[in-house]
Amino acid sequence: MVDAFFFVGLPYLAIVICVAGCIWRSRYDRFSMSARSSQFLEDGKLLFGSLPWHVGIITILLGHLIVAVVPRVWSSLMTIPAVLFGVEALGVACSLLAIAGLSALIVRRITDARVQAVTTTMDLVVVVLLMAQIVVGLLSAITFRYGAAWSAGTVVPYFWGILTLQPEMAYVTGFPMLFKLHFIGAWVLIALVPFTRLMHVLAVPLGYIFRAPQLVLWNNPRRSRHAVDATVRAESRRDFIKGAVGIAGASGLLALGVSEKVLTYFKGPDPDPEAESALLQKKLERLQQTAEERQLELERQRVEMILVARYSELDAVKGKYFIDYAMAPGLAFKGKNGLPLLISAKCTHLGCTVGSQVNAEGQIMCPCHVSYFNIVTGQPNPGAPAKLPLPHLAWALVDPSGNVVASGRPGGEVEGTPSPELLAQCSLYITKPRHSA
Amino acid sequence: MDVRAHVSVIFHLDKCIGCHTCSVACKNVWTDRPGAEYMWWNNVETKPGTGYPTRWEDQEKFNGGWKYDAEKKDIALRCQNKADAFLKLFYNPNQPNLQDYYEPFTYKYEDLFTAPAGDDQPTAVPVSLITGEPIEIKSGPNWDDDLSGSPIYAENDLNLDKLTEEERAQLFEIERLTMFYLPRICNHCANPTCVAACPSGAIYKRGEDGIVLINQEKCRGWRACVAACPYKKIYFNWKTGKSEKCILCFPRLETGQPPACFHSCVGRIRYLGVLLYDAEKIPSAMKVSDRALVDSQRDAILDPHDPEVVAAALRNGISEEFLDSAQNSPAYKYVVEWKLALPLHIEYRTMPMLFYVPPLLPVMGKSANGTYEHSADNFFTSLEDARIPVKYLASLFSAGNEQVVEAVMRKLMAVRYYKRWQSVRDLAENDVHRILREAKTTPEEVEAIYQMTAIPTHYQRFVLPPLQREEAIESTCSPEACKGCSGFSLDPAFTPRA
Repeated sequence: MVDAFFFVGLPYLAIVICVAGCIWRSRYDRFSMSARSSQFLEDGKLLFGSLPWHVGIITILLGHLIVAVVPRVWSSLMTIPAVLFGVEALGVACSLLAIAGLSALIVRRITDARVQAVTTTMDLVVVVLLMAQIVVGLLSAITFRYGAAWSAGTVVPYFWGILTLQPEMAYVTGFPMLFKLHFIGAWVLIALVPFTRLMHVLAVPLGYIFRAPQLVLWNNPRRSRHAVDATVRAESRRDFIKGAVGIAGASGLLALGVSEKVLTYFKGPDPDPEAESALLQKKLERLQQTAEERQLELERQRVEMILVARYSELDAVKGKYFIDYAMAPGLAFKGKNGLPLLISAKCTHLGCTVGSQVNAEGQIMCPCHVSYFNIVTGQPNPGAPAKLPLPHLAWALVDPSGNVVASGRPGGEVEGTPSPELLAQCSLYITKPRHSA
Repeated sequence: MDVRAHVSVIFHLDKCIGCHTCSVACKNVWTDRPGAEYMWWNNVETKPGTGYPTRWEDQEKFNGGWKYDAEKKDIALRCQNKADAFLKLFYNPNQPNLQDYYEPFTYKYEDLFTAPAGDDQPTAVPVSLITGEPIEIKSGPNWDDDLSGSPIYAENDLNLDKLTEEERAQLFEIERLTMFYLPRICNHCANPTCVAACPSGAIYKRGEDGIVLINQEKCRGWRACVAACPYKKIYFNWKTGKSEKCILCFPRLETGQPPACFHSCVGRIRYLGVLLYDAEKIPSAMKVSDRALVDSQRDAILDPHDPEVVAAALRNGISEEFLDSAQNSPAYKYVVEWKLALPLHIEYRTMPMLFYVPPLLPVMGKSANGTYEHSADNFFTSLEDARIPVKYLASLFSAGNEQVVEAVMRKLMAVRYYKRWQSVRDLAENDVHRILREAKTTPEEVEAIYQMTAIPTHYQRFVLPPLQREEAIESTCSPEACKGCSGFSLDPAFTPRA
């Protein structure tokens, strides 16, 4: 209930307040919209506050924006370790820069009498909220590293869910408290935009880049009858010429492409004999390689047992990866009873490889969309993107002389009770899955 | 030819007595509000002096105006380019601050009545109008008034840099200290840097009359205009977070009255009239060398009597009534016909449309036997020894081109000699006519200059064009529906408290 308010109710409340408030203010109170600079009253300390603050916060906000707009491109970039580390380091550096700048601004606002003369209550509220928000953000980025990589699969779907009116709070309800605070802070700040100086963020004068240097406005109706008509005529002529040239160019390119296709159709392909033979050779090599691989897989499936590890290598907390009969990843743990526990590591959501580390709740986590699976039951946590449990695998323990001393089935039935001394010498195998019929 | 009309202004400095009545009239009408106390849209400076804000002419510090690249023959803003303008939104290194103007103050007058009885007279201590705290007053808007010769103020005038030691010494010679007054309002430039620098596009030039205005609803307080204006005639309102400037009292102009500072001028130094100019020439006019700037600007101004110009103006939607006032304009006479009025610091290349007639008095140089020479023979040799060096005036009014200022001085002097000869008859007629010839003028022109300078009527000084605001308003909405939505609002939120 509380989660539903903070992660679905509050966002919609904030967005409605922000959009409606901004429209209202820009229509009925435009005079109040200003960056409200106090440089005129105090310009020494401002330099060391305003500049680092703005540069830092704008870089960070752009980072947040990019990952939301192009999550796929972004996460594929983040698979390169150097880029990931670079982005994380830049984020932390810019947060520190922004915190330093904001601290300087707060000190200046509190201590300078002239700046106090133009300070409103809302200014102080905003400045405190911003400071809290950025500190929480930095702390969560340090505590839970590589957010640049995993946020694309968790926060971004949540964010788009909100925007596309299909809120899916399951993505964020399992998050640590720090993140939750950061989300709530963001929505509160967005709701405050129309009532504070924050609105100047929406007034970024990008039009200045393209604007002619001089600006002349006419109120003269006589001019609109004569000169303006002429200007409009000239402009529409120019626009028409521009459009015609564009259409002609595009049709030319199109005609060129079509005629090329038509020509090759009638003439037939005409490849270079050498290139053709090289291409065929390459195809043959690839086919051979595929055949060999398939052969190996088949042989593997015919074998009764596949070696996973020596028993002594197993651990209760840190799983050992192996490849099962279906060529899918699996994890081997030492169970509570000292016997092996084998579970599939292929996430039942979208097939990512689940992590090998067991947390305090006895769960392993899929890093792609944060599903937690209990290793004993295989069940995902409630609300996780994955809905099906991870299956267990059948196993056998074999002593050095080749005798099966114990074996287990996915259901949990175990045959044989080897002594601990014997266990230590055993090796762990997976056994061929048998149809229960 | 793209003919445009401009309401232009002439200030005759020989007639200015430095009384500040214009400044006070403006203050009472426009800037007696919180956040605007320190602003003087109209101010009067003593020259030589540092002015308001202090040393506003120092473009090395404030980076105002256009920068001319002689090789590319192109101009660019000195204060910013399109990229670093965005970084300067957060902190503008070129912006003048409160210290450059002065901290506005008042006195705690009520203490005079409410102080408890004691041994001393109660005093009204000065308090800051910003913080309300008691302050020590360190400067004011005309702090260096009449302080010519002072080492703190006048010595720091940037226009003195080009003078030799000898000329400086002469200027500040004790008992012969020289100064004159320079009233300043917004120049309503034809090539304004404030418009070009505004990131929000809030500043614009009115097409009909050339008045430069700031749309207070579009202004976002980025302050680029304050830095860009080389005359420092845009002020930042610290209370509202918006920039403000002289509006040439357009609500008065639209109702047929001259601006408040013009109307109140005691010395009647101010003239107002229409100039027609060719907008096509504006981009190239300011891309010439410093020496040619004054002539280049005069070239862009069109003759309102030329039938071709009149036809092109009518085509451009300038009304016949407007053209009538252009033909009677004192501004056209002073600037183009007589070539007596010069722009202030044209080297900033904003093409100011406010022109000054440079001061002639006291022009006389060295005295012999304690009296100044008054003979026609040695007058022009003494121009070089004038108490205000021509070099100094050239630095102010002609981007250092002394010939331009000399020509003006000779003509002004010729008027004076001619009128003296007419009334006193203590000069030879031949000499007077020689002086007129050397000043490249005629008795008719001299009479006209005398008439316009000394005894003009109100309607000769102020030839106000009909701005036909009513037509402009009617074309967009009915007068009944438009009540209160144009000019200064009748919205109760903006009416002053009773």
